[in-house]
Amino acid sequence: MTISRRKFTLGTASVLGLAAQGSFKPAMAQSESIKIGWLAALTGPSSAPAVGFNRGVVYAVEATNAAGGVKSRKIELITRDTQGDPTKAVNATQEMISSAKVHAIWGPTNSGEALATTPIMARAKIPNLHPCVVNSLIDTTKYPNAFRMAPSNAQWDNAVRNYCLKILKVNKVAVIGDTTGYGTTATGDSVAAFKKDGADVVYTAQIDATQPDMTPDMLRMKNAGADAIVAWSTSTGMAARLFNARASLGWDVPFVGHPSLGSGEVATLIEKPANWEKVYTINYRSCSFDAQGKLPTRTQEFLDKANGKIDLKGTLLWWVLSGVDVINLFSNAVAESGSTASDGIIKYLNSLTRYPGLFGDYTWSPTEHNGYPTDEVVMGAANSSKNGALKLAPGYA
Amino acid sequence: MGHSTTLASILAAGFAMGAIYALIGITYNTMYVTSRVMSFTAGQLGMLGGVLGALFILRMGMPLVVGFVLTLLGCAVIGIITEIVAVRPVLKSLDQHLYVLSTLALALMIQQVTAIEWSTEPQAFPKLFGIGSGALDEKFWLPVLACAVAIGGLEWMQRSTLVGRAFLAVAEDNFAARALGLPERNLRIASYALAGVIGGLAGFAGGELMLAFFANGGFLSFYGFVPVALGGLGNNRGAIVGGFALGIFQQAANFLVGGIFASVAVFVVFIVVLLAAPQGLFGTSTARRV
Repeated sequence: MTISRRKFTLGTASVLGLAAQGSFKPAMAQSESIKIGWLAALTGPSSAPAVGFNRGVVYAVEATNAAGGVKSRKIELITRDTQGDPTKAVNATQEMISSAKVHAIWGPTNSGEALATTPIMARAKIPNLHPCVVNSLIDTTKYPNAFRMAPSNAQWDNAVRNYCLKILKVNKVAVIGDTTGYGTTATGDSVAAFKKDGADVVYTAQIDATQPDMTPDMLRMKNAGADAIVAWSTSTGMAARLFNARASLGWDVPFVGHPSLGSGEVATLIEKPANWEKVYTINYRSCSFDAQGKLPTRTQEFLDKANGKIDLKGTLLWWVLSGVDVINLFSNAVAESGSTASDGIIKYLNSLTRYPGLFGDYTWSPTEHNGYPTDEVVMGAANSSKNGALKLAPGYA
Repeated sequence: MGHSTTLASILAAGFAMGAIYALIGITYNTMYVTSRVMSFTAGQLGMLGGVLGALFILRMGMPLVVGFVLTLLGCAVIGIITEIVAVRPVLKSLDQHLYVLSTLALALMIQQVTAIEWSTEPQAFPKLFGIGSGALDEKFWLPVLACAVAIGGLEWMQRSTLVGRAFLAVAEDNFAARALGLPERNLRIASYALAGVIGGLAGFAGGELMLAFFANGGFLSFYGFVPVALGGLGNNRGAIVGGFALGIFQQAANFLVGGIFASVAVFVVFIVVLLAAPQGLFGTSTARRV
């Protein structure tokens, strides 16, 4: 058979035309790696959570790829260090979407960055899982692609309030926060919710976290008759100074509040270990030791399986477990939907009811993207940290 | 807790913070008298006193005395670097106030490098002697002791040593001192090193109270400037009185109104004082030649 110049030109044009229309795409897509963008504040202020999440993420990616990948497709992790800076987070998000062409994004891990990146991801319809607490970040109408896989601030607030009112059975509370935007907002929300539940908020204040002596504030709370102090601050220095001032006043009022109250940094700043007693911080059932000192079965089985492959020192267990969950969720979404198309991943996430993750049982629907169950948010004894997990605070079954 | 305990708490924390503010005020003044420059690195020197102290003694495990001496030496070096990098290049155009930008830029650099290399969270400062408790805890009286030692040392230096007298001569009339053959540049470098030592001493003595925290730099630059303005620029006695007044008033405001309102109260009084006496309570207004 002779091939004329006309036939050759027609044939070449047809092949190129088919390629341009994507006729070969399915075959290519099946071998293409699954690209997951990871917006991580790995350095700079507030880097501790992302460092913890990263340990879980890297472990899960390596474990999945070592087991043959997701339907023979490897996971490719595209990590960008945002340094906690919203501008850098925005740039990284745009680069991930336009240049790296990721199929889904995990992060960012703090609310300031997420407030800037969430609308960008929504415009590009990129499936996005994040752990940020600010309530407004979840809106199924504006951001149908964004899913929260950790508690919102409202859920934290509920857990703290329930512990004070139902378990400690106190009615007179002092609610304090630092002078940051987060501290001010969280304190205001908390005061409103306590009052709505009929509690007597005897004292509320914004405290300068750099104030060297917290005695004046502690004294005012004592004089106001507070039976518990609810604290909303990420400042470990402020927490330690409050505990030291409480000890110097000889007052055994309990502190209940933000996870920073249980940060390992506090241990180095308190004047004596006893000053950290009766401090209860937000934690999760999956990361809590029971009265017998045992973790929940699912968590323990995972840790046995990981057996030393994840460094749990200097971090919180829930950060690590969430990192593993995210990779597993995206992997399952691709496996179940049969592709990396964003519609399929979003549809899969919207269909989950009590998905058994390591950190918690996630439930999302087209109208609710707050996926973490409120009943799994509990309080832990702040000074009981071991491998990033805490003992359940007294009073829980 | 009775009124007497409240008063003791106000006085203990008030005098302690007042002493630290006074020392930072003296740091400002020491740099000012030989260069006519308000260097905003003064607070950063205080911050470094705490951070270097914690680094040498807690992290590196050095003995207290060695850690203390190295901290002061480190701060003296930062003082000298300030003179070379941020002050000397702008001395010829003092009337344009370029030093505001250059010293502020250097202060920010010091703070950012500390945040990156040290920590963005407050870190523990070692318990130096473990003496006292409650209102008599060493964290309250150590800054006061440091302030007393610094004042005594400066007085002795100015009255009894040639270098001290040379400082005074340069401060009084820079051109005349140079005409008399005094090494003006070397004296200026020495005064910046001395300012580094005084700032470092403030941070080291106040470390147990303020912790080793990078953000203390901005805080001290800000509140350390108040006694300088209250007491009159270049007037150490005014800075001491202004520093202690600020410390006591601030702590009393913390008890009375608390939180962010205490800062508002402090600055309301500050502005009122400056409106009444623009040259500061102990400053003298100089006539300007026209």
